[in-house]
Amino acid sequence: MASLLQPDRVLYLVHGEKKIRSPLSTLYFCRYCSELRSLECVSHEVDSHYCPSCLENMPSAEAKLKKNRCANCFDCPCCMHTLSTRATNIPAPLPDDPSKTTMKKAYYLACGFCRWTSRDVGMADKSVASGGWQEPDNPHTQRINKLIEYYQQLAQREKLERDRKKLARRRPYMPLAFSQHTIHVVEKYGLGTRLQRQRPGAPITSLAGLSLKEGEDQKEINIEPAQALDEVEPLPEDCYTRPINLPEVTSLRQRLLQPDFQPAGASQLHPKHKHLLIKRSLRCRKCEHNLSKPEFNPTSIKFKIQLVAECQVLLTLTNPVENITHVTLVGCEEGDPEDINSTAKVMVPTKELVLAGKDAAADYDELAEPQDFQDDPDVVAFRKSNKIGFFIKVVPQREEDGDVTVSFKIRHDFRNLAAPIRPSEEGDAPTEAIWLTHHVELSLGPIIA
Amino acid sequence: TNSAKNAKIAAGAVVCVESEIRGEVTIGARTVVHPKARIIAEAGPIVIGEGNLIEEQALIINSYPENIAPDSEGVEPKTMTIGINNVFEVGCMSQALKIGDNNVIESKADLGRNMILTSGCIIGACCQVNTCEVIPENTVIFGSGCQRRVQTERPQPQTLQLDFLMKILPNYHHMKKTVKTTSAVTPAKN
Repeated sequence: MASLLQPDRVLYLVHGEKKIRSPLSTLYFCRYCSELRSLECVSHEVDSHYCPSCLENMPSAEAKLKKNRCANCFDCPCCMHTLSTRATNIPAPLPDDPSKTTMKKAYYLACGFCRWTSRDVGMADKSVASGGWQEPDNPHTQRINKLIEYYQQLAQREKLERDRKKLARRRPYMPLAFSQHTIHVVEKYGLGTRLQRQRPGAPITSLAGLSLKEGEDQKEINIEPAQALDEVEPLPEDCYTRPINLPEVTSLRQRLLQPDFQPAGASQLHPKHKHLLIKRSLRCRKCEHNLSKPEFNPTSIKFKIQLVAECQVLLTLTNPVENITHVTLVGCEEGDPEDINSTAKVMVPTKELVLAGKDAAADYDELAEPQDFQDDPDVVAFRKSNKIGFFIKVVPQREEDGDVTVSFKIRHDFRNLAAPIRPSEEGDAPTEAIWLTHHVELSLGPIIA
Repeated sequence: TNSAKNAKIAAGAVVCVESEIRGEVTIGARTVVHPKARIIAEAGPIVIGEGNLIEEQALIINSYPENIAPDSEGVEPKTMTIGINNVFEVGCMSQALKIGDNNVIESKADLGRNMILTSGCIIGACCQVNTCEVIPENTVIFGSGCQRRVQTERPQPQTLQLDFLMKILPNYHHMKKTVKTTSAVTPAKN
């Protein structure tokens, strides 16, 4: 099946903000707009955070606080695999009687892939299986936090001034909603949505959303400017003559995964908490309906809503829906603006092709009467349940080394199974069919001399 | 077959009958050879020490180097030496002529003939190493690019696993005959 094993053979054209050609298996079909959608013409939203190794869900607020890291799981600083906790028995003196020793369990972290252990960097074994491991503190944390506060205050002040200037030019009775416009401006220094909330009891002026909390003094946060030093630590004298201990040198990737310390020596590489992954949902930008919504549970890979194009749109003339479908193929005309990739002329069958509906029980139902579609043997090669094979003629236009590509348009009827927007009347007609046209490009492979 | 004559299996070793041992092979005490393991001494004898664990479908072969035809004259047979407490995991292949102690050759690893493993080395799964060098002690070779690093502790000998296998394997498999040594008291296993 071209859809699974050779996905780039058949490309469908998606009319979005950009014209994108991609295989059907990567596309979604919005059944409210009746159009194909690709990943670039939908908006991606974060649904939930979860840890890939312990599969624990984490609410977004907590994830933000913990910098999108899991609390329990660690990554190996050497090969970035997940670390596992191992236990050993060590003799330890009894608290009551120091002369007798008993076996106590000591836990250490180890990587199954590169055999790194927490003992390699000098981390002592812990007596609890989880929760005992801490990441080392960044010595610059305080200074960084102070700088962040200062710049947040600065950004707030700048915003106030900007809005004051804007309002001064406008008429005074502009509605409050107008000031929301400034909030969509990309925020510097990540102030968050604090400024959008209306303070209750505050005067309803255009600046209401932007004032500070009541009672909060405008703290003047002063920061000392960074000091430039004249003297730099000199290099050690044996810098050029000392032989390099290669196993001790960290690779660039290992170093940059720990931006706080960026250690040059492998004995300083401490494990970091594992990064969280997200589940995302996709939303059509035109009609704001959800195209794909995963389940909340991290252990489940199913979807609550999944409008994949393969289930809706015709697939290399296998009919995925259960109704009889009529297909017409039309070659691209001269000067078709969408026909940019084809290197051959194609003659498609001019008659309409009829495809039977998909019937899951058809394989088991021996008494069913055979379908009687009068097929022209010149056009239809074979027919099997909901599949059809047909002939096309291809005339390559150019002698080239690349693949022969043809493009044509498929026009088929589609019954929208979504709930009708208009209330249905008494004795209503069956769901109306609409006709969809897709531009398809088919890559047929190289010319054999 | 020749195998019964030339293979010297010390008392205390557990070698399953389904394993294939060809040529002049000496196996030390407390070594366990799983069924379907293959130890083939083509171009010279193989001496395996004590306490080794050779798992299924492992292949230890002392073969002729590629540029020498098997029948050419003047080729001295070189002995392949394997030390103690090594682990040859499932499906690995080792042609290295000299392997020390406490090494682990993980599943589907591939060792070339010109390598020399010292002790405590770990050759990771699916790593193909075919260089002409001595691997320093406690080296770990891992990853698709055969990255290396040095670990601080050597891998532990698999004594628990060996004891367990020496008890359980004879319950389900027949064992190859061991050679009676003059100092050993235990009778030859059958």
